[in-house]
Amino acid sequence: MTDTIIEARDITRNFGDFQAVDKLNLKIKKGEVFGFLGPNGAGKTTSINMMVGLLRPTSGQVLINGQDLEDVKKGIIGICPQELVLWDFLTCKESLMLMGDMYEVPRDELKLRVEKLLDDLFLQDKANTVVNQLSGGMKRRLNLAMAVVHQPEIVVLDEPSEGLDPQSRRVLWNYIRHLRDEEGKTVILTTHLMDEADRLSDRIAIIDHGKLLRLDTPSNLKKEIGEGDVVEMKLSDPAKNEEVVDILALMDGVHSVVKVEDALNVRALDAVGKLPQIIDAVETTGVHVLDLSVRQNTLEDVFIDLTGTGLRE
Amino acid sequence: MKFISIAKKDFRELTRDRRGLAMILLFPMFFMLVFGFAFGGMGQSNEPHNLAVVNQDKGATMPLTGEQVNFGNNLTKILEDSQYQDSEVHLFNVTTTTESEADEKIKQRDVDAELIIPENFSQSVVALSTANLQQQSLTSASASTNVTSTLVIRGDTGYTGFGTTQGILTGVLEQYQDKMVSEIQKAITGSSGVTADTYLQTRVESIPGTGSFTNFDFMAPGMIVFAILLLTTTVAAGLTREVEKGTLSRLKLSKMTSFDLLLGGLIPWSLVAAAQVVILLIVAVLIGFHWQGGIYTLLLAVLVGIIGGIASVSLGMIIAAFARNDRQAANLGTLISVPTSFLVGAFFSLPNVVIANFWGQPFQLYDLLPWTHVLSALRSTLTYGLGWEAIAYQVGWAVLLTVILFAIGVGLFAKNRLQAEK
Repeated sequence: MTDTIIEARDITRNFGDFQAVDKLNLKIKKGEVFGFLGPNGAGKTTSINMMVGLLRPTSGQVLINGQDLEDVKKGIIGICPQELVLWDFLTCKESLMLMGDMYEVPRDELKLRVEKLLDDLFLQDKANTVVNQLSGGMKRRLNLAMAVVHQPEIVVLDEPSEGLDPQSRRVLWNYIRHLRDEEGKTVILTTHLMDEADRLSDRIAIIDHGKLLRLDTPSNLKKEIGEGDVVEMKLSDPAKNEEVVDILALMDGVHSVVKVEDALNVRALDAVGKLPQIIDAVETTGVHVLDLSVRQNTLEDVFIDLTGTGLRE
Repeated sequence: MKFISIAKKDFRELTRDRRGLAMILLFPMFFMLVFGFAFGGMGQSNEPHNLAVVNQDKGATMPLTGEQVNFGNNLTKILEDSQYQDSEVHLFNVTTTTESEADEKIKQRDVDAELIIPENFSQSVVALSTANLQQQSLTSASASTNVTSTLVIRGDTGYTGFGTTQGILTGVLEQYQDKMVSEIQKAITGSSGVTADTYLQTRVESIPGTGSFTNFDFMAPGMIVFAILLLTTTVAAGLTREVEKGTLSRLKLSKMTSFDLLLGGLIPWSLVAAAQVVILLIVAVLIGFHWQGGIYTLLLAVLVGIIGGIASVSLGMIIAAFARNDRQAANLGTLISVPTSFLVGAFFSLPNVVIANFWGQPFQLYDLLPWTHVLSALRSTLTYGLGWEAIAYQVGWAVLLTVILFAIGVGLFAKNRLQAEK
């Protein structure tokens, strides 16, 4: 017996000359929250669409519970797309009942599930309100409810907190944990929010330009680039950034120096102790430090380290 | 029954989107009003007029020579050959046919007028010539062989096309009589001759039930078909929106089948088509349409309208199988449905383009479109008050062609939209 629920084998997807996903291989375990982390355009949604059967891979294979995706019976996956995919002129309740009907959920049970979902996602007050009169956050929550009304084994959430206010985001995060812990679902989460990936995911796949760069738990990923701190600084003359990067990269104890937009990220052990040396080195190039901050290593630094860039918007 | 849930969903979306619904129902109403109020005669100068000739002439034997003659054929030939003065354009496009078919053609405006040559036409011409002979030899006006035949010109007297054709036809017939008399007189010189109209008469008849008809009575069913055809645009845009918004992907992942989606969608749209027939008929009646046959013909018209609606939904599916977004679908829908309205004769009849004959009935190129039959059936029932027997042939064609179109629509939509994207 394997505890793998989804396996992608060498899946590749081309759109004309553009390769959106390049030989992606990964296994997702039953009952985990699996985070797909990457900037916009990294190939996350394309990968997800192939894994749920909405898009055919150009090559490669997707297995669900060891079976080819084409042979898997419908209803095992529930997807909450990145965009709001709702019928504007149906009420919350009607939308959920419709999706339940489409998955052949028995009526009596469906009614109970719909009531519970409306309660769990704080939509009960708006049960009979048509979708186009809901706020953005409510629509997001309904978008999620529609993905789980048929109680799928796998729940795919594609950028679920996009555009959510902090309160709605908290409701969402709690619900994702609830899906895993109380209902035993496997949750696949794509996000470009480091914080979200870090807090919710059991394991994270970092993907960019259609390629899998790393797959591990958030703590292992952070360990991989070493403990330590990050010094973020802005120089008086950004034209000298490259020159400064070259100088700092040669300093003892400095793990990496990366240019992120017009700032520099210097990752080093005991960064605070090294600050005088760093500043001296910068000033030898004839510029001075305009702005400086020291913080703890985050998942974003892992990402920057791996991709050499910040998150693209 | 997942298709019922889809039907309910579509119905709710349709009725709650007030602006969209108003567009569907009010736009054709506007057309109906414009056509109802503003329709005038169309200039038809120097164009051949469509004429059905029903030649019932049994022929006769010439008294002197014993030669067998048929002046009915002779007259038909003359009508076929007549041209406008100083022009190569023929006066008439002559179709020789039977009386019942000619009546039907008048109703469908396939022809502008119908000329019935009576059985004793040749006999009356022979009698005319005999009378001249007798007058010459016996100097007596009392001709014992007096045979009078009446040529009937029949048509929809409310139709300007008929008025023009009838005027020209009467002129040609008068010339024919004059020529006939002078030919006879040439043979028998020195006589003033007998008056031809004692022997040859013409009578103008209105097709039964069309006596008080206006052009609008003919146009109104066309407007209903136009409205039904416009559903294509709305359906194409609606289905494409479902693709574009991703709601179709949601449904695709579920256990819903193409059958559920498309059959479910058909139900509310058929209701819209039925509503259009009723509403547009009411508007038409309010502005002067002479509705014939009462509730029975209305029910038949609703049934026919639903068939037309299903054909439009099918065409909408075909468009939605290819359109990239709802705006493109709406544009394509308009680009296709408006010219189709013209092709099926919703605004005016097009020239005959017969491509086959089925059960003795000519099959026009336009008859490949189900809405042509829908229009004929609506006209027969609402304008002429005819019942099921009269429209069964047209309804049969409409159903057959709609089923074919629906199968194509479902096939293409399912292939392009309901499978995993390639």
